[in-house]
Amino acid sequence: MQEFIQYFFSGITNGAIYAVIAIGFSMLYNSTELINFAHGEFVMLGSMCMITFFGSMHLPLIPAIILAIVCVTAAGLLFERLAIRTVKNPEHIVLIIITVGASIFLRGLGMLIWGKDAFSIPPFSSHPPLDIHGAKLLSQSIWIILIFLLTTVGLQLFYKKTLTGKAMEANAISKRAAWIVGIPSRLMVTLAFGLSATMGAVAGVIIAPVTMCSYDMGTMIGLKGFCAAMLGGLGSLWGALIGGFLLGILEAFGVGFVSSGLKDATAFLLLLFILYVRPGGIISSADVKRF
Amino acid sequence: MTRDRIPYAVFTLIVAAAGWYTDNPYYLQTLTFIGINTLLALGLNMLMGYAGQISLGHAAFYGIGAYGTAILTVHWHVSPWLALPGAVAAAMLVACIVGIPTLKLSGYYLGMGTLGFGMIVNILFREWSSVTGGASGFVGIPSLELGPISFSSTKNYFYLVWGFVIFSFILCHRIINSRVGRALRAIHDGEKAAAAVGVDTAKLKLQVFILSAAFSALAGFLYAHMVFFISPESFDFIASIRIVTMVVIGGMASVWGSLIGASLLTLLPEWLHAFSEFEMVVYGLILMIIMIFLPKGLTRGLLDMFERARKNK
Amino acid sequence: MTDNNHPLLQIESVSKAFGGLQALTDVSFSLTQGTITGLIGPNGAGKTTLFNLISGVFPPDTGTIIFNGTGIRNKKSHQLVSLGIARTFQNVELFDSMTALENILVGQHTRTRCGMLGSIVRLPWVAEEEKKARDFAMELLDLIGLREHAYTTSGDLPFGWQRLLELARAMASRPQLMLLDEPASGLNIVETMRLGDLIKKFRGQGVTVLLVEHDMSLTMEISDRIVVLDQGKKIAEGTPRAVQEDEAVIAAYLGTSKNKADG
Repeated sequence: MQEFIQYFFSGITNGAIYAVIAIGFSMLYNSTELINFAHGEFVMLGSMCMITFFGSMHLPLIPAIILAIVCVTAAGLLFERLAIRTVKNPEHIVLIIITVGASIFLRGLGMLIWGKDAFSIPPFSSHPPLDIHGAKLLSQSIWIILIFLLTTVGLQLFYKKTLTGKAMEANAISKRAAWIVGIPSRLMVTLAFGLSATMGAVAGVIIAPVTMCSYDMGTMIGLKGFCAAMLGGLGSLWGALIGGFLLGILEAFGVGFVSSGLKDATAFLLLLFILYVRPGGIISSADVKRF
Repeated sequence: MTRDRIPYAVFTLIVAAAGWYTDNPYYLQTLTFIGINTLLALGLNMLMGYAGQISLGHAAFYGIGAYGTAILTVHWHVSPWLALPGAVAAAMLVACIVGIPTLKLSGYYLGMGTLGFGMIVNILFREWSSVTGGASGFVGIPSLELGPISFSSTKNYFYLVWGFVIFSFILCHRIINSRVGRALRAIHDGEKAAAAVGVDTAKLKLQVFILSAAFSALAGFLYAHMVFFISPESFDFIASIRIVTMVVIGGMASVWGSLIGASLLTLLPEWLHAFSEFEMVVYGLILMIIMIFLPKGLTRGLLDMFERARKNK
Repeated sequence: MTDNNHPLLQIESVSKAFGGLQALTDVSFSLTQGTITGLIGPNGAGKTTLFNLISGVFPPDTGTIIFNGTGIRNKKSHQLVSLGIARTFQNVELFDSMTALENILVGQHTRTRCGMLGSIVRLPWVAEEEKKARDFAMELLDLIGLREHAYTTSGDLPFGWQRLLELARAMASRPQLMLLDEPASGLNIVETMRLGDLIKKFRGQGVTVLLVEHDMSLTMEISDRIVVLDQGKKIAEGTPRAVQEDEAVIAAYLGTSKNKADG
């Protein structure tokens, strides 16, 4: 029982992280029908910025988090403006290869700035772990779940309550209809890139204390997030949440009860299984664009 | 019919001349790698460029070819020339089994399905260490010999690989310009319409998937017997993405595009060594810049530029 | 009107619903070999649904569709082509990156055999087959008057020609039955007349045609029989003249104020 709860804790902690990354993928997909293969690198940038601001420069926690998120969001906006928008008559596959190029570029940039070493930072607060039936819930896990909740509730409010959020949603549902009522779809795409990078940054910030962070951490974590987004159903925020937690929890039990070498395999076996049974993800959205 | 043989004849002459005049083993080796990558790109281009189906896990078939021959020749002491059909057949069989459910998916879901498959195969290479040598790799793969000819010399290996490349070019050219090739391009242009004129799209997509797996496995075989040592990193997700990039950068639906894409992506890292720690940044930038300014790939893009320059004169 | 009056396609009490919407209710009629049948009706009458049932897009809820004596319930689109049913699309679905000639060659897919291995080995029979296919394709291009554009990329052809090319592509599979989904939409008067001539030529070669069409003048002119649907039910069937005078038909059209007759 104690073991079970322990794995469950680790599962929901990872699940929250995957969910935040998956939301970033889905958000961008909704506005642009694009998968950003550099998304994992935004997570990496978030972690590394946090290491600089919080770990080396010893800024207070909240300003460090905000600064890290602002930096990464700016990088996302810059990427959209400089690389994505410059392409004339974009085909999907071309844009995707551009994001692949960007991911290599950002990894290289990370290596230039932070070197090849792996870093970690202390947890956000030094409370002792909670003891629940003998299983330990680390204070950082609580931070992760709290920030995850804050982010998703914030996003919901943004989409439902603000005009910009509603405009983004309208643009995602039908670009043409949104254009007719005067929503600047260009701007919406830029915003989606920015917000998606923000999600990456948030994920990066909260995992900095629980993993070893290095310039090349983005690939795997990005893939897992992509996987979670697909599991739930690409383009659906609820799908991203379900996919993220499903992946996190199953992976944790996979590691605990089967073997740690199979940790990464769990994610992908699960993915193949779901794709074969339900080709559009758990929450199927409308037709997925062809390449 | 004879007119479209000319480019291939010229190409064969160029390859022969390149082999004849190049003595520097480093150059020969790089050229041989280009040949291996061309096979990979060609195989995927049949699937992506002609049939319009993406695969983000093709490095798995590349790996099955390499590990297949390694296991057969080292553990089972099979002759490499028997291991070649063995490894290729294994990849084709896996492609068939995986392809039947996977090719029902489309778009990103197909991408993700193939990606997941590639990851699982890679984890298998890494974790099944009693057979594959695990993360530290597989050592002691024998060099190839055919009667009195030893392919341990760089030059002979160059000829062997490029012989396979030319053979594959002709093969693909024949397929593309046949009833099957037309049906493939029809699927690419519109799957619904292709089915409506009687193309069994599911069957044909599976056939091409298997064919392209066979090309990748052949490349894997040639790679393993060239470097004698293989490890899982050569066949991971990034390797799969590299193959996709070769196809897109070179130009989709073009045999020569595969050659150009493979050449660029093999040579670029070699040239960029001079940039030392800036290597990755520059590499990423170049990929982005090519795609931003030549979104149809280098082959078509450069041809268009040439055309425009001629008109402006 | 070739051989006998044996029905090529029989539609027997077919119904289809989408959720709560009853798109077709108990519709029956049959197509006589070598005739042109026009399927008309106001918007939302169920024409497209019926078309999709026959072309195998989805199966009927109840009822059967029999082609040449065999049920076509669980046949996929490509199998229907082998059986002898060809179709065109309302919005013209050509293979845009391929030439006009290649489009017609793909149209012969089910009438040719060369597979992956055959194309690699290129035995003499493959070359023979290819040559025959090209000759036949050229004949069809002649028929629609596009021979000199054989090597033009089909996406670059004007829309009217694309329509004709799509018809020729359907004809390339040597069908017994041809299903045409609003072939005249988007065409001007001259093009529509050429289209009508072409469809009549197809009938002359023994092909049975089912025409779903909004253009009344075309439908009335070339059809041997007319079937009228309204709100998912068959309300009339007969010769063009008889149908035009049918009171139920007049009521259905005037009632919806969508009268396109003589328009």
